[in-house]
Amino acid sequence: MTTATALTTQVYQVFIKATPEQIWDAITKPEWTARYFYGARISVVPDAYRSLGPADEVWGESDVAEFDPPRRLVHGWRSMYDPDMAAEEESRVTWEIEPQDGGYSLLTVTHDQLEGAPKTAASVAGVGWMMVLSGLKTVLETGESLAG
Amino acid sequence: MVTYHRRMHDDDRVFKALADPTRRHLLDRLFERDGRTLTELESDLEMTRFGVMKHLRVLEDAGLVVTRRAGREKHHFLNPVPIRLIHDRWIDKYTERHVSALSELKTQLEERR
Repeated sequence: MTTATALTTQVYQVFIKATPEQIWDAITKPEWTARYFYGARISVVPDAYRSLGPADEVWGESDVAEFDPPRRLVHGWRSMYDPDMAAEEESRVTWEIEPQDGGYSLLTVTHDQLEGAPKTAASVAGVGWMMVLSGLKTVLETGESLAG
Repeated sequence: MVTYHRRMHDDDRVFKALADPTRRHLLDRLFERDGRTLTELESDLEMTRFGVMKHLRVLEDAGLVVTRRAGREKHHFLNPVPIRLIHDRWIDKYTERHVSALSELKTQLEERR
């Protein structure tokens, strides 16, 4: 039980000087995600999560399990930008946004149910989510976009 | 007046948390395998359970460790984002030119010996 949880769940957190509404827009609207999410144009609506690459290639397509703006979003994850990872089972991503003092919000990203997706787990750990979340903070706090 | 927000990921807390060999060791253990319990983390440390808990608390306050409960067990997850933000703030600031000039100097000096 312990081992299963350990190897199949990843948790990331960042404080961002932005309102929950601003963060919600930044994670659900393609014009925002293109600026920090490896160039992916991600749109999330109540019944579908869709991620497109620069040439409109499909990088991700999943169901949305929970859509509760601006506090909680749960959707499936399949890394369709890579053939090996695309063949793996779907995992799950949960975004939680909690308002804090001083105009800050705490964003927590939990990527779990990675039992059937070891390549995806290795890929998103380490720099994967770390770069996305530090990039999101930069974009929201400074207005600067990141290269790539 | 300066107000410190609870559990804010400010640089001071991250530097303080990293300035201790036991805490760096705990982060390395979580890097090897994420989501460990306190019992797993204390197994190779010559320290009381309470001592390890105190170190984990400092790491948690700095945002470097995030905990999640699963039933009766508490799992510890490495959160590398604050370290990345320090990298962005402190490493990128000193341009690559300076860094490469210094590493070239080091190489030259060491070759001469």
